[in-house]
Amino acid sequence: MDTTLLVQMLLGALLALSVYLPLTCGQLSLATPGFYAIGGTLAALLSTKVPALAGAADPAGGAYPLGSVLLEMLLAALLCGVLADGIGRVVLRLQGIYLTIATIALVEILRVVSLNLEITGGAVGIFAIPQPFADPAGYALFAGALLALVCWLCQRLAVSRPGLAMAAIRDDAIAAASSGIPIEGWKRLAFVLSALVAAVTGVVAAHFLNAWNPRLGNFDASITTLAFVVFGGSRTWVGPVVGGLALTALPELLRPVGDLRLIVFGLVILLGPALFPQGLVTPERLSAVAARLPEPLQRRLGFRLSPAEALDPEVRP
Amino acid sequence: MSPSVSQPATAPLLAVHDLTCCFGGLVAVDAVTLQVHTGEIFGLLGPNGAGKTTLFNLISGITRPSAGSVHWKGVAITGAPSHRVAALGMARTFQNLRLFNSLSCLDNVRVGLHRHSRQPKLQALLGTAAFRRRDGALRRQALDLLASVGIAELADRPSESLSYGQRRRLEIARALACRPELLLLDEPAAGMNPTEKQELSALIRRIRAEHQLTVLIIEHHVPLMMALCDRLAVLNFGRRIALGSPAQVRRDPAVIEAYLGTTVELGSADASGSCAGGPQP
Repeated sequence: MDTTLLVQMLLGALLALSVYLPLTCGQLSLATPGFYAIGGTLAALLSTKVPALAGAADPAGGAYPLGSVLLEMLLAALLCGVLADGIGRVVLRLQGIYLTIATIALVEILRVVSLNLEITGGAVGIFAIPQPFADPAGYALFAGALLALVCWLCQRLAVSRPGLAMAAIRDDAIAAASSGIPIEGWKRLAFVLSALVAAVTGVVAAHFLNAWNPRLGNFDASITTLAFVVFGGSRTWVGPVVGGLALTALPELLRPVGDLRLIVFGLVILLGPALFPQGLVTPERLSAVAARLPEPLQRRLGFRLSPAEALDPEVRP
Repeated sequence: MSPSVSQPATAPLLAVHDLTCCFGGLVAVDAVTLQVHTGEIFGLLGPNGAGKTTLFNLISGITRPSAGSVHWKGVAITGAPSHRVAALGMARTFQNLRLFNSLSCLDNVRVGLHRHSRQPKLQALLGTAAFRRRDGALRRQALDLLASVGIAELADRPSESLSYGQRRRLEIARALACRPELLLLDEPAAGMNPTEKQELSALIRRIRAEHQLTVLIIEHHVPLMMALCDRLAVLNFGRRIALGSPAQVRRDPAVIEAYLGTTVELGSADASGSCAGGPQP
């Protein structure tokens, strides 16, 4: 497998996690490509139009400084976080399909705006985005580290108070509110986290792709990222990661089949949910796999302690 | 008795004044006034569609009232959102059971502990020993609550797999986890057989004593309510038609009419009263 595909897979997994986060509290948001596009466009603009960010390295040869990429990620996260918080206050009042439609509208608005703005290069987009890494391996390491960080955050979220609150909201929002959970706040947190993940992924993608145009954040991308989660399973963070990796890889791996690959890909998307209605990865299958791991590792990963075991963790060996 | 006069020295725990709720043209709750005092078990009786559950929804912040007021310990809380109401010290159960079906019984109760389970964010993020110790303590609290309603052995089971009566108990445990002062029970005995009803009645008395609770309870089963409640209010067509001790309410002619459908020569009652106000088993 070539490294370029690996980077794409890792980015796909990150986007899948961005779709997964609002789903943890039952919110189907398709806004991920919108925030991804904001991150990508911001990175493209900053790295091509702000000479200071290129640092000492001469524009002709040297690599773009990694510090500047991190700075772009920070700025993109800030911008999208604030934006998502503001939009969330309005949009998250909607429920079910209406929320989804509103987020599709957001993606479309952002696409049309960037298509018509001069600064974003219109339909042509922005070219010659400088590279912080000389080869795809660097990107793979960087995206891998980012994915590991987001996975770790999702795991900590799942096993602590926020995860429980979000699961409660997903199951029954009225009962959750009556149990003292401020549901608006938690929904918005999940939405903002989703935007942050999408934004930083966009920054990495912009450098990796070398060029950015408005088509990268369109409705097709919404559906693709949603397919990652549906295919992989939305009840644990592992599902979206598996779905993102697999469905990004599949079209490329199927290349030898020629034009048939689109049909095979379509079949996989069709049969996946039909055969595995909850996605490939469910908590039950996950804990069955986890049961084979060494016990200390199991506990460290927070896999299904029975209540009695979990009561006094420090008493146990 | 004049309910509108404020009692500055001893404000009732919960005071509902002229509370009204309209859904389009239907007046579901019609200017209901009642007060619940600390420590009592207050019952709400009434035929189906009398507005009992709507009244619960108005009190617990799920539905906004069209008019009237709700006071908690003398402070107006009319229209406050449900999580705020829960934070004040009111917890409720639901007529149609609203459990978190994908969660285990223990986790259902842990959700109830939400407001009491705040931990330093960094510790929670890193999963430090301090975090795990506190988390263990919270799980023990949840398990104790399950034990107090008699279903501790089901802690690990998904709440979906419980029997009906067990679910009712689980919902009560979850409500208790909010550490309420006032517990609102919406038909906790619905669908239970006579033995289970007796057990439930005993359970309500016991948890009231153990947790120093005031209880506001909706129930159809009249004998159970007569035995359990200190005071009762009877609703019919959204109006409070009686209020008092079980003995007083039992003799009240308006209650007898609502329950037994006695024909009374009232112009308005003639048209709709005979079937819509019919008795409930």
